[in-house]
Amino acid sequence: MRKLVLALVVCLMATGAAFAADDVIKIGVFNCLTGQNAFGGQLELEGTQLAQKEIPEVLGKKIELVIVDNKSDKVEAANAVTRLIERDKVNAIIGTYGSSLAMAGGEVAEKAGVPVMGTSCTNPLVTQGKQYYFRACFIDPFQGAGAAAYAYRDLGFKKAALLIDVANDYSVGLGNFFKQNFTKLGGEIVSEMKYQSGDQDFTAQLTELISKKPDIVFLPAYFAEGAIVLKQAKELGAEFRFMGGDAMDNPEVVTLGGDAVEGFLHTTFAYDPSMPNMNPVAQKFTENWKKAFPGKEPNVNAALGYDSYILIVDAIKRAGSADPKAIRDALEQTKDVPTVTGMTTLNATHDAEKELGIVEIRDGKKQFIGTVTP
Amino acid sequence: MIAAQDTRTRDNALTLVSVGLFCVFLWWVPNNLDGYKLRIINLIAINAILGLSLNLIYGMTGMFSLGHAGFMAIGAYVSALLVLTPEQKVQMWILEPIAPWLANIHTPFIASLLAAGVIAAFFGWLISLPILRLGGDYLGIATLGFSEIIRILITNFTPITNGSLGLKGIPSHTTLWMSYGCLAIFLLCMVRLMRSNFGNVLRAVRDDEIAARTMGIDTFKMRVLAFTLGCFGGGVGGALMGNLITTIDPKMFMITQTYSLLMIVVVGGLGSITGSIVGSILVTTMLEWLRIVENPVTIGTFEIPGIPGMRMVIFSLLLIAVIIFRREGIMGMREFSWSWLLGLGRKRGGAAK
Repeated sequence: MRKLVLALVVCLMATGAAFAADDVIKIGVFNCLTGQNAFGGQLELEGTQLAQKEIPEVLGKKIELVIVDNKSDKVEAANAVTRLIERDKVNAIIGTYGSSLAMAGGEVAEKAGVPVMGTSCTNPLVTQGKQYYFRACFIDPFQGAGAAAYAYRDLGFKKAALLIDVANDYSVGLGNFFKQNFTKLGGEIVSEMKYQSGDQDFTAQLTELISKKPDIVFLPAYFAEGAIVLKQAKELGAEFRFMGGDAMDNPEVVTLGGDAVEGFLHTTFAYDPSMPNMNPVAQKFTENWKKAFPGKEPNVNAALGYDSYILIVDAIKRAGSADPKAIRDALEQTKDVPTVTGMTTLNATHDAEKELGIVEIRDGKKQFIGTVTP
Repeated sequence: MIAAQDTRTRDNALTLVSVGLFCVFLWWVPNNLDGYKLRIINLIAINAILGLSLNLIYGMTGMFSLGHAGFMAIGAYVSALLVLTPEQKVQMWILEPIAPWLANIHTPFIASLLAAGVIAAFFGWLISLPILRLGGDYLGIATLGFSEIIRILITNFTPITNGSLGLKGIPSHTTLWMSYGCLAIFLLCMVRLMRSNFGNVLRAVRDDEIAARTMGIDTFKMRVLAFTLGCFGGGVGGALMGNLITTIDPKMFMITQTYSLLMIVVVGGLGSITGSIVGSILVTTMLEWLRIVENPVTIGTFEIPGIPGMRMVIFSLLLIAVIIFRREGIMGMREFSWSWLLGLGRKRGGAAK
């Protein structure tokens, strides 16, 4: 028995040490493949892997993805990035879903001088003061402003209310920026209700909201709680409309919410499989995705995972080198790169500037109704 | 036949030599090992401090506490708020402005560590007064509740803690010397404590509270004391952890954090100081080392894709194996001693001849 275990251990160590040759460019991926954020992280990884299959080479060298899991845990995220840099010697890194994980990993990458492309970490603090952290997504202030502009200008709503998950940095940030912009435009916030991630019963908050008679309730929730809120609102006979953020961009919303999600609006990245006139990159992405994962709808997370890879490869091409410092400098110059979620430009704070999409759920299906600029 | 006096001299000499060797090791490590290994070696020390402090509460005194993550959170936040520079603080509080009295406080790291420990201990003491009247599972539930309360308070006091956005850019003060220095001090105190009469009293309280009370021990006071000391360790450990990762947020200190500490303590052996050290080494290194089972494996031309999450499956199996084959943990209640180590060597050597 002991010999068997020993043999097994030796085998494992051997496979762990067997690494590829020098003429490959290694891109590390750290994302939440297990733990509470696994759903988003898994989709992003699949997007990245799809992109790698399409563009397997740059500068005549093969690109290899080194994937590590961060377990949706901060300590693990820092460990994972250190491992990628020190042990696997990656040239650049992609990741991750969840801003707090990105912050933990970002600190390590910053010190080591390896560029990171964030997929969907939208908290402004992630890239604040960082030389080496970039992201393929826009940030919460931008999205909050866009949502407020759409609600006030395009829909003509004057009275809004908020329902925020206080334990979630994404929700708190987005809600706050919506509020700031909505009042700046001239609208009124009539009520601000709170809940905690994991709550199941929202009837108290909803009853309060109904009594305040807002035109629209901004609900920057994750899809699991969001769908329950919509369901309970319908049961209570709420007449106002709901609007959410990109975290509600998930096929599960309709499955969980049923007909209660009818008419629900949310802002998101300018990509949806139902989009009428897709850009060529998005078309290619959708086609290849359907081939690679039949029966599974692509969503924004997958698209951002894909885009992150495209942005890094584009930077390597322009830099003409896979040196981490050169990639970083090239990333900083990123301008109008065609990606799935529209033309991407990285601004001075390393955040992507791109169009904001608006989606409405009609007849149990997501309908892409247009884009908006705040 | 060695006299007791000689044994003690020999043990002291051996301890000194090994401490010296370990210092050489610590001096050698930063220049010769990569940052990844450094980080893991550092984490081992932090986990050992946290494990030891939980062991003092649970293993030594028999109070089933599930609240350690809460005290870690207090320590991590206190230390982070003290070492962050005023400019950093102004930048970070983007939703609500920071409380004015807090914005300009800035202290050296060591002072922040002490403050972290003291404030965590203070909260521990405060909480222990009502809840240590409970025992067994009820105590576990109550401490779990308090730890959640602490986390929710941190989430909601945005002007002080920056709420769910968390803090980032904490200077990485946790060097190897710092974490192992803290561990050494902690270890020394624990060993002295458990060898003293106070240690006997704590064990008496754990083994039979009624008997201990009959002997004239003020069991309630002793339990409060042990709990407060344990919380001090939790606070310091949390502070070191925050300064190692350089960013903290309330979600870091969920119940899962307590569970992983509990795992270290139980695997190592409840009530054994050596056990907590061994447990923290094992758990910390295994979790990282097992990542290789998630790598894609190439056998000849055949490639097996890596399965994320596989290492947790194997890790759980290992834990189950420990629980089945060594229910009392790796060390049980035993402690490391030189006589035991030398005896082991002699036995092995004898068998080989």
